[in-house]
Amino acid sequence: MASTGARVRPGRFLPRDPRAQTPYRLTPQMVFRIGILGFLVLVAFAILFFRLWALQVLSGTQHLQAAENNQLRTLRIEAARGPIRDWRGRVLVDNAGATAIRVYPSDLPDKGAYAELKRLAQILRVPLVDITKQIEQYQGDPVTPVTVKEDATEAEVQFLTERNAEFPGVVVEDTYVRRYPFGDLAPQLLGHVGEISPEQLAEQRSYRSGDRIGQGGVESAFDKFLRGQTGLARLRVDSLGRPTSAALRDTDPIPGHGLRLTLDAKLQRAAQAALVYGIDLALDEGNWNANAGAIVALDPRDGAIRAMASHPTFHPEVYVKPGQRKQLQLLLDQEAAAKANYPSLNRVTSGLYPPGSTFKPVTALAGMQEHILAPYDAIPCTGEVTIFKQRFRNWNPFVNEAMTLPTALAQSCDTYFYEVGKRFYDLPPERGHPLQEWANRFGFGQLTGLDVGPELAGLLPTPEWRKATYTKKTDPCCWEIDRLWKPGDSVQLAIGQKDLQVTPLQMARMYALIANGGKLVTPHVVAAVQQGNARGGPTGPLTLRRFSPPPREIAIDKEALEVVREGLYQATHAADGTSAGTFGHFPVPIAGKTGTAERLINFTDYSTLMDTSWWCGYGPSHAAELVVCALIENGGFGGEAAAPAALKVFESYFGEQAGLVQPAEAD
Amino acid sequence: MVDYVVTQRMPSRMPARAREASLLRNLDWVLLATVVALVGYGLWAIDGITKLDVAGDPDYYVKRQAAYALIGSIGLIGAVLIDPQLYRRHSRIVYGGMIAMLLLVPVIGVEVRNTRRWIELGAFQFQPSEFGKLLVILSLAAFLADRGKRVAEGRTMLAATGLALVPMILVFLQPDLGTAVAYAAALWATLFVAGTRWVHLSALLGVAALASVVVLWAAPAAGIHLLADYQRDRLTGFLNPSENPQGSTYNITQSTTAVGAGGLDGRGVSGATQTNLNYLPEHHTDFVFASLAEQRGFFGVSILLLLYLLLIWRAIKVITYATDAYTATVAGGIAFVFLVQIFINVGMTIGMAPITGIPLPFVSSGGSSMVVNLASVGVLQAICARRR
Repeated sequence: MASTGARVRPGRFLPRDPRAQTPYRLTPQMVFRIGILGFLVLVAFAILFFRLWALQVLSGTQHLQAAENNQLRTLRIEAARGPIRDWRGRVLVDNAGATAIRVYPSDLPDKGAYAELKRLAQILRVPLVDITKQIEQYQGDPVTPVTVKEDATEAEVQFLTERNAEFPGVVVEDTYVRRYPFGDLAPQLLGHVGEISPEQLAEQRSYRSGDRIGQGGVESAFDKFLRGQTGLARLRVDSLGRPTSAALRDTDPIPGHGLRLTLDAKLQRAAQAALVYGIDLALDEGNWNANAGAIVALDPRDGAIRAMASHPTFHPEVYVKPGQRKQLQLLLDQEAAAKANYPSLNRVTSGLYPPGSTFKPVTALAGMQEHILAPYDAIPCTGEVTIFKQRFRNWNPFVNEAMTLPTALAQSCDTYFYEVGKRFYDLPPERGHPLQEWANRFGFGQLTGLDVGPELAGLLPTPEWRKATYTKKTDPCCWEIDRLWKPGDSVQLAIGQKDLQVTPLQMARMYALIANGGKLVTPHVVAAVQQGNARGGPTGPLTLRRFSPPPREIAIDKEALEVVREGLYQATHAADGTSAGTFGHFPVPIAGKTGTAERLINFTDYSTLMDTSWWCGYGPSHAAELVVCALIENGGFGGEAAAPAALKVFESYFGEQAGLVQPAEAD
Repeated sequence: MVDYVVTQRMPSRMPARAREASLLRNLDWVLLATVVALVGYGLWAIDGITKLDVAGDPDYYVKRQAAYALIGSIGLIGAVLIDPQLYRRHSRIVYGGMIAMLLLVPVIGVEVRNTRRWIELGAFQFQPSEFGKLLVILSLAAFLADRGKRVAEGRTMLAATGLALVPMILVFLQPDLGTAVAYAAALWATLFVAGTRWVHLSALLGVAALASVVVLWAAPAAGIHLLADYQRDRLTGFLNPSENPQGSTYNITQSTTAVGAGGLDGRGVSGATQTNLNYLPEHHTDFVFASLAEQRGFFGVSILLLLYLLLIWRAIKVITYATDAYTATVAGGIAFVFLVQIFINVGMTIGMAPITGIPLPFVSSGGSSMVVNLASVGVLQAICARRR
């Protein structure tokens, strides 16, 4: 220590050891350690080799497969949707080629994506929020593009193609959009095509997110025929999903099948015009709130719907044409739709109304079948009648004569039918509720089975229904009274009032039964599925499948039916017939019944009863080809608005003009 | 016991020409040939892997890499000419210079993808932490050799650990976990070769294991996050790669697929879709091995691994040529750091080791790494050339 003391100060941290100068030698310990080092090296390399062998040689095939799958993406090629034609082969809906602007979210630049989308939105005049919302939805899915605009104009397409370098991730693709050559024809019935909703996606397994699917009406109910089969193509992509080659087609798309409807475009057009005409008539007569209506025309022999009009209506192009967002709001937004009186509602199938006097034939038939009514026994018809201490009025207070059934139907005598209603009420309990049972046999209180939804069943009130509906919970003040079936219920039901609710389609079906001699038809809109060229072509489309649901025979006395038919004919032809002024001079004999049903209308600050104007009938009366049911909401008397509107449909169908038309204020 | 008396060589007294002749004669030609083969093989690999990376210039990366190899060769020759004892004598300068360089990084370094590792040097970027790998070995070996027999004392071990921890922490903060691990390997290897007692070595390993458990699991559980989430996910992701194939384990999944898809003889340059379509991230740097495996298959990587084995074998052999504890420790450190880098890099591409940004020696594209690795070989040669 002393010898090196000059260099090493005592107390210094870890001083150098003088023995560090000792000559170096390879000690056995050192050799051992080198050996261990070498062993470590060998072990490490052995591990690597074995692992590589396992990975590359033993399971190389699987990994190769995985690598191949990595780069191939399956693309779906849209199939052309099938056309929809009317009864005579006129194309109601087909496809138009369109140019869609789509954005692949993964290809958007990292920086400046927002600015790019903002510019795109300005150019295409689409709200930026719509784009960003969709893009957020598809985040993490590099192959599904977001459709920004389905039907871009030529100028927009040109602008974008010329500047495609400025819009990375934006592509211009060919697509199809629905075309409506007849414009706003039956939009509620035909439905439209739109992107599948998450709820629909959960139900339908064969669809993919982003697919387009029929929404409502025929488009939805027959989507599986119309949609065709999506083609498949494979695309080589890099790790960001960017295509590196052109798409290779695996399977070509198969165009959808066409549909032939029972609808007649000309008659449908006439029915829609008739509704407007009927509403105008009602307004002229001072029914200031006449604002909606429905007309249905069907063939009583097989239930084929020839026209189905609902008002207010809309133009189906709002779903495809850009820049119609305001119009679309009326259909999609609850509040806006309510303000516009629900244009997308199909009032023929989903509108519920009390039928009023148009229901009287049902009461008459049921009464005769149950032998509580003899058609040619006279019942007094007066201005009012008191039943169980309750006074019921006739619509016409000045009448006072005894009537047979045909006359009572022709003049729509309420007191006559109050009496029939009372007789039903007086039946012993073991007879059940035959009026309701017959009404049910005639199709009330149940779905008609129309092949295109949506449809409502309505309400056929029974004592059981009253009991179940009015409970302490739902009706705390008066449930004990309300749950009872009272004489008034039977009396009102006999003239189609109070709780009874029907759809115009159910009424048309009932009148078809009267017209065809007792057969209950199943209304249907689609006649056949067809394959082949959309535009007709020389050979025409090939019919693949027909739909003609067979009518159901109802066991009903033919003579009773004949009495009712006689009454309905008199209603349109006898001097005092409620719609004789309208149909009396029409060259084709028409039989039918007016109805004026009181319905509670709620306004913002009050409610009041308003008259729903009805007319249902058929023609020619001896061998009916067409049943028409017309309804004008808040349109006043049936003879005032609905009957003249129905006449317009017959005029169009038979190609005849009525000579003199005098709408009457008659029920 | 008998002490062997060894004549001290006096190189300064020999004529310059004779000295050079003896240097040349004593060079490890096998090691040199191996390194030349490795660099050549690496260039060939990079050439194939980066063909599509720069549009319009398929040779962009290989040209750069060749330039780095050239600079590295100058470094190698320079290192052969310098007597390693010089580093020992000036070990404080070596250590201090390294720390200064690492401290400079956060000040004037450039930031790339949230890490600050590089210093701009004209057209090139220079990565001090890579040079640190060699400098840590040189300075630690000097410190340990100077302690002589005291190397067996726990204090020496602790002091050496303290010396190594400073650059480790600096690098860890960049953040560059992989290089920090390499420094740890350098520490462990120098201690091992210098003759630290087994008990101390095991204690060190135990503490390291405990530390990783704390950093990866215990501290996050207690709400202290020493690592960024992505770092922790990468480190632990290899334990269950199927957990989140689109997220944190995406790299492992894609890299394993690439390696496996290579099969026995590879998919060739144009057929290697994992590489060419960018499924494989960082395929010319950290994941270069996976790309090579995809393009050249098991045969291709076997050649590379055998060359590495040869390299490390010769490096270990250099330990036995060493004339003193210092050079022996340096050679051992270099050999072991090579081994650790190779093992971790290859291991991470085949799902056996955590993903840390360690380059594959002589193959990964990158200037600093190439120059340092060649210079390290130069140091090995310098030791070998000055043998008895």
